[in-house]
Amino acid sequence: MRPDASKKLKAAAPKQGPNPVIIGAVIAAVVIVGVVVAIVIGSNSKSSGAPGGSAQPKGVVAGDAGGILANSAPAKSNAPTLDLYEDFQCPICGELEKAMGPSMAAMSKAGEIKLVVHTLSFLDDNLKNDSSKRAANAVACAADAGKFLEYHAAVFAAQPAREGDGFTDAQLTAFANTAGITGAPLTTWQKCTSSGQHAKYVTDTQSAAEKAGVNSTPTVKLNGQDITKTLSTADALVAAVKAATK
Amino acid sequence: MGLRSQWEAGRLPDVIGLLARLTLGVVLIVAGALKVTSPAVSARAIRAFQILPYDFAGYVGYALPVVEILVGLLLVTGLFTRLSAAVGGLLMLAFIIGIGSAWARGLTIDCGCFGGGGTIGAAQTQYGRDILRDAGLAACGAWLVVRPRTAYSLDHRLFG
Repeated sequence: MRPDASKKLKAAAPKQGPNPVIIGAVIAAVVIVGVVVAIVIGSNSKSSGAPGGSAQPKGVVAGDAGGILANSAPAKSNAPTLDLYEDFQCPICGELEKAMGPSMAAMSKAGEIKLVVHTLSFLDDNLKNDSSKRAANAVACAADAGKFLEYHAAVFAAQPAREGDGFTDAQLTAFANTAGITGAPLTTWQKCTSSGQHAKYVTDTQSAAEKAGVNSTPTVKLNGQDITKTLSTADALVAAVKAATK
Repeated sequence: MGLRSQWEAGRLPDVIGLLARLTLGVVLIVAGALKVTSPAVSARAIRAFQILPYDFAGYVGYALPVVEILVGLLLVTGLFTRLSAAVGGLLMLAFIIGIGSAWARGLTIDCGCFGGGGTIGAAQTQYGRDILRDAGLAACGAWLVVRPRTAYSLDHRLFG
C-alpha cells in the first residue's frame, strides 16, 4: 500500500480564508434590512403623531389643512390673503409676533387682510417634545370657541426663555383664561384639548405646509408670495399689504 | 527607513490610505448617528433641498443615516474597502451636487449634514464650507477606490 499523502498535501496547501462572497452577502443583507427597517420606522413616525380625533377646527380655509382664517368678520372683497406659518415653539416666530402681531390682528379685524394662520409642529421632532402639537391643538380648540387670535397671542406671550422647554398642560389652560374662554365654551375647550380633537388636523397642516415648500418658520406669504425676508418692521408689512390691495 | 524608501516599500501609501479610510468612515458614522434617532427631521432636511419628490425625499431621509453608519463601519474596519469607499465617495458627490444646486437656486438652507436642516437666514448659510468639506471627503473616497490597499484593514487580514 502506498503511503497516504493527503494529510501532508492538505497541510502544505495555502490556508483557506473566509469566503468573501459569503461575508459580502451577509453585509449586503444587513444593509438592505437596515434600510427597509429605517424606512418603515420613519414612515410610521410620520403618520402616527399625537393620538386624538380628526375633527376640523372652525375657520379652516379650503378643506384639509388649509390653515385657520383668523378674521372675526368677513374681510373686504379686495383684501389680500396673508398666510402666516409658525410653530409655537419657534423663538423667531415669537419675535415676529411681538413686532407684527398687533398690526396683523388690527388689519384682520378691520377686514383689510384675510389672515390665515398655519400652526406648524415640526419643532417637536427637533426638540423631542410634543408642545408644538399640543399648543396647535389647543389653539384649534380656541378657534372653535371663536378666540383663535386671543389664544394665539397668549401662547406667544408666554414662550419659554429657552427653546425646547415647551408648554405644560396647566399653561395651556391658563392661556384659555387669558384668551377669555369662560363658562360652557371653556368646558368644551377643555374636552377638545385633552382629547386632542384636532390632532389629525395639526399633523395634516404640517405635511401640507411641507408639500407647499414651507420648511421653516416663520414664513409669511402675501397672496401666495413669500415676503418673509422683506419684513423688517411692522410698517413694511402694512405697506406691502397696501400695495397688494387692489 | 527614510520617507522615500518607505514610499517605495508601499508603507506610506498604506498609511495615507488608512487615514483616508478613517477620515471618511468616522465622519460618515458621526453624521449618521446624529440623524438616525430623528428620522422625521432627516426627512425634512432632504425635502428642504426641493430636488426629490416629496415622498421619495422622505424615504431617502429615513434611509440615509443607516446607510451612512454602515458604510462608515465598513470603512473604519477596512472591509470591502474599494466598494465602500466608492459608495461613500458617491454619497459625498451627491451631497456636493445637492448643496451646489441649493446654492445656485438661491435657497437658504442648512444642509442638515449633521442633523438639523431646513431654511435658515441667508447670512447663516455655509454652502462653501460644506462643499469644501465634502470635496475633501470625496477625495478620500477616490484615493481608496484607486488604491484600496491600506494599513490595518480587515480586507488584508481576511482575504490576504
